[in-house]
Amino acid sequence: MGIQKDIVKFNVGGRIFQTTATTLANAGRDSFFGALFDDNWDLRQHQPNSSQEFFIDRNPDCFAVLLDLLRTGDLYIPSNVPERLLYREAMFYGLIDHVRSAKWGPFDGNRLKLSRSVTGRAPGDGTAIRAGPDGGCCVAHGSMVHVFDWMLEEHPPINLDYQRVNDIGWVNAENVLISACERLGKGDGGMGLFNSSTGDLRHKFNVVHDNQTKSYTAGALSFSPDYKIFASCKGRSNEYGIGVWDQVTGKQMDFFYESPGWSLGDADKLQWLNGSNCLLVATLFPRKDNCYISLLDFREKRMVWSWSDIGALLTVDEKRVRDAIAMEECNSICVVNEYDDLGFIDLRINCGSVRWSSRSRLLKGKMPDEPCYPKLALHNGQLFSSMNDCISVFCGPDWVLTSRLRRSYGGSICDFSIGGDRLFALHSEENVFDAWETPSPPII
Amino acid sequence: MSNQKKRNFQIEAFKHRVVVDPKYAEKTWKILEHAIHEIYNHNASGLSFEELYRNAYNMVLHKFGEKLYSGLVTTMTAHLKEISKSIEAAQGDLFLEELNRKWNDHNKALQMIRDILMYMDRTYIPNSRKTPVYELGLNLWRDNIIHSGKIQSRLLSTLLELVHRERTGEVIDRGLMRNTIKMLMDLGSSVYQDDFEKPFLEVSAEFYKVESQKFIECCDCGDYLKKAEIRLNEEIERIAHYLDVKSEAKITNVVEKEMIANHMTRLVHMENSGLVNMLLDDKYEDLGRMYNLFKRVPNGLSMIRDVMTSHLRETGKQLVTDAESSKDPVEFVQRLLDERDKYDKIICQAFSNAKTFQNALNSSFEYFINLNSRSPEFISLFVDDKLRKGLKGVSEEDVEIILDKVMMLFRYLQEKDVFEKYYKQHLAKRLLSGKTVSDDAERSLIVKLKTECGYQFTSKLEGMFTDMKTSQDTMQGFYANHPELAEGPTLVVQVLTTGSWPTQPTITCNLPTEMAALCEKFRSHYLGTHTGRRLSWQTNMGTADIKATFGKGQKHELNVSTYQMCVLMLFNNADRLSYKEIEQATEIPASDLKRCLQSMACVKGKNVLRKEPMSKDIGTDDAFFVNDKFTSKFYKVKIGTVVAQKESEPEKLETRQRVEEDRKPQIEAAIVRIMKSRRVLDHNNVIAEVTKQLQSRFLANPTEIKKRIESLIEREFLERDSDDRKLYRYLA
Repeated sequence: MGIQKDIVKFNVGGRIFQTTATTLANAGRDSFFGALFDDNWDLRQHQPNSSQEFFIDRNPDCFAVLLDLLRTGDLYIPSNVPERLLYREAMFYGLIDHVRSAKWGPFDGNRLKLSRSVTGRAPGDGTAIRAGPDGGCCVAHGSMVHVFDWMLEEHPPINLDYQRVNDIGWVNAENVLISACERLGKGDGGMGLFNSSTGDLRHKFNVVHDNQTKSYTAGALSFSPDYKIFASCKGRSNEYGIGVWDQVTGKQMDFFYESPGWSLGDADKLQWLNGSNCLLVATLFPRKDNCYISLLDFREKRMVWSWSDIGALLTVDEKRVRDAIAMEECNSICVVNEYDDLGFIDLRINCGSVRWSSRSRLLKGKMPDEPCYPKLALHNGQLFSSMNDCISVFCGPDWVLTSRLRRSYGGSICDFSIGGDRLFALHSEENVFDAWETPSPPII
Repeated sequence: MSNQKKRNFQIEAFKHRVVVDPKYAEKTWKILEHAIHEIYNHNASGLSFEELYRNAYNMVLHKFGEKLYSGLVTTMTAHLKEISKSIEAAQGDLFLEELNRKWNDHNKALQMIRDILMYMDRTYIPNSRKTPVYELGLNLWRDNIIHSGKIQSRLLSTLLELVHRERTGEVIDRGLMRNTIKMLMDLGSSVYQDDFEKPFLEVSAEFYKVESQKFIECCDCGDYLKKAEIRLNEEIERIAHYLDVKSEAKITNVVEKEMIANHMTRLVHMENSGLVNMLLDDKYEDLGRMYNLFKRVPNGLSMIRDVMTSHLRETGKQLVTDAESSKDPVEFVQRLLDERDKYDKIICQAFSNAKTFQNALNSSFEYFINLNSRSPEFISLFVDDKLRKGLKGVSEEDVEIILDKVMMLFRYLQEKDVFEKYYKQHLAKRLLSGKTVSDDAERSLIVKLKTECGYQFTSKLEGMFTDMKTSQDTMQGFYANHPELAEGPTLVVQVLTTGSWPTQPTITCNLPTEMAALCEKFRSHYLGTHTGRRLSWQTNMGTADIKATFGKGQKHELNVSTYQMCVLMLFNNADRLSYKEIEQATEIPASDLKRCLQSMACVKGKNVLRKEPMSKDIGTDDAFFVNDKFTSKFYKVKIGTVVAQKESEPEKLETRQRVEEDRKPQIEAAIVRIMKSRRVLDHNNVIAEVTKQLQSRFLANPTEIKKRIESLIEREFLERDSDDRKLYRYLA
């Protein structure tokens, strides 16, 4: 047996740990250990032989957890170690990113486990919840938006002139966008960009019509990978339509005015379609009497595809579209009605009709007192649909129901969102949201 | 009661305050400050990383991030001020070395400080939107060292001085230079640009301005260009060694502007060594260098091109209008070809085969070839010469190359129809006299003309070849049918289709009786096999081989023309014949007769006849005898007719007239074609379109077009518009 040269001995808060420099190298240069082993600080200078130990004045229990994380890549938090303390220690060593990426696995709708439920203090009904890119989320209630990081630690709440929030979105991990109602005559409301951790307002977006800055109500939001922001906008002199801003400069780039008889400025949902370079705009019942879904091409300023239920005969069970999502891979738009029936519209045919799937569960009769409209989401080929207090997961080419997520506390789910490998569901009655995540893959 | 409550609350708050020692922040900062001092003093070995890291962490954790940050700024600034002093104190050449050493120290210290303050970098700085530690260190270095009054100007002048010394041939420490420049680049591209690049470019511009002035006074063009090229390469090399790659375009721009663009005109027109001299002396290397250097500056290439074009036009013009060269058509064309080869080679080797230069070459040739109206004739004569004899012993590929070159010249011709006329004449002569060397070469050229000008252009030429072939068959048939003719003179008839050949209506001369009978036999044979045809004899184009015995019994076979044969046959029955008697007996047209007598009586070595009086020219009163003293080394004697190879002046006029005559119907046809499709068109457009349509054959003369239009109006193909006299209408 040769003598292993890279053994390192630590005394952490009185407990002796022995490990190797190789294990510690997993921490990376930008960490406590990375600096410690750098030539500048040469550890061995203080530790001429392995019998001498290196003292660290920190919690030994947490060090044990983090050392195992560096050894195995797996995070196991024993019950005697409070999570918050562990996170703080990880922050000290510069290992917080290691902890985050080990905390939960890559997203899979069929393996989700409830991680935590967070109860807030907001007085009103929930409006929207949006998952952030690194596992955090923001929740809108009335005129307030609460921001949580991936540890589900709450940051200072944000608001835009205390105006009613219509939609929220993450521009990136540091910035949250809020769209809000205008206040007549005050220039309040509109759209604002906030620092997610400090809650500072960084930029307020303007709408300019005919070289005049106007106040406006901003509605649904969407982002494109080439750093554009899209928002449905309502001005006061029929300036309805979709505004486009540059994320970098914050300047308005474009405005797509709605044509008579078609609704854009009141949209419930915007979705940027990367493959076809188009924006999906959906305005739905009951915001309007009819449903309007269209695809806009901003390069040609043209509506390239549209669908509406104007003039369609309402059948006995009165299926009205309540949410819509484009699925570019399938060349179709998926819609859902208030009975959780899925329907599909072909994107290759203009003004086609909805093909409702026969999987009707006929929920009539057992509707809760305060129903929430169903919502749709798409992630990695899995389709998610919320109805009452549960979320259904559909997979495969025929969209078979494969899983159902339910947690019977807080009432119906009014909104949910997937991002940062997590799913967040916001309940309407109690002020509660749930975070669902995929556990780390099994050991074998 | 309420008082007590308040008290309780105060106790609570007080308890909080005790946890943190009021001097905690100050104490902790002192430890860290001390550590920073030690790091700068190379004393870091006594420091405990864990302790410092923990202290910095605690300060941030207990909301003293601001204190930590501002303390760092103050301490680092103080150290940099010290450093600045020691750099300032460095003498002479040590200055840069000291600066570099301190920069390395600072970088190392910065890295260590950053390690200690890692937690602040990670948490406090992003949230308070401050500059991260590393960038802060760079910014402070920039503000306190690089931008400190004494160092800034000294650094710049040192760097520029080093560059200057290297330019003047000294060896400098490039490693030191590279490190210093890299430091400026690390501090941000704006630092590099403002503190070095901009002044560097200005100084370089000044340097090259002076140097180029010096060079241009004492060097010839080739040497100057060599020096400029060396300088350019040096600068590019300098960039690679120790400057930012982004500077390359900028510094080469400076050199290009100062050394080339500013002296372009002078270089090109430099006496005895400028562009024209390079072209004359085939200096490919210099020309290539000039091309590559001038390519880099705006308008550089167009200047070379313009000078080359005007020089080419000038020499070309001299060439084609030179009376001396017009004397020998073959030489004339050969010189054109040589000129073209020369420039082809220059463009290919020195001007990287640039399209624009090739176009300039073509347009120049087109310009001067057409200055001489005889160019079409000469080119045809050149081909004639080549196909008659010039191609003997030349491989097929070489023939193709020569023909291709000729075609190249042909393409430049505006009057392609004139060429066709001459070519037809020359081809006819070649075919009839059996002088053509290679049938393949003939056909190859016709194919080339066909691809160039279309079927119409060559249909008659091809007809001539067909006639030759058919005639052979006809003659075989004739002798097969008349076996009795095996004895006696042999007749070879070539039946030429009227229209395909450049025949002139000539009077048939009186053939000797033996021949006349033979011809009559052929006539009846031919007309017997081909009904509805008419034969007329072109005695001016034939040849004959006759056997003659002279006074001392010397026997020769004479190869003569039909006319000459007729004359010689007369001497079978007479010893002396006067010019008039010959003329009467043969009825050969006077000019032809004079020529044919001249060739038999006045050419030394070929003088089968004797003439009285002995003079060079034939007079109508001359008398002729058989020259009994005729001798020749050869058994076979070829007596050529004195034919001006080139056309004589009247003939030239005649050909021209015929060409003009032929053009008329072509112009008219073009006008009618255009008007038929356009219905109404104004005068200028008609002229333009006609010219365009006909330019593949000849350059139509506007006055001639106008005349044709008028003629067409007379014949009621067209009419003038009643309102606008400039407008023509097509009448169906």
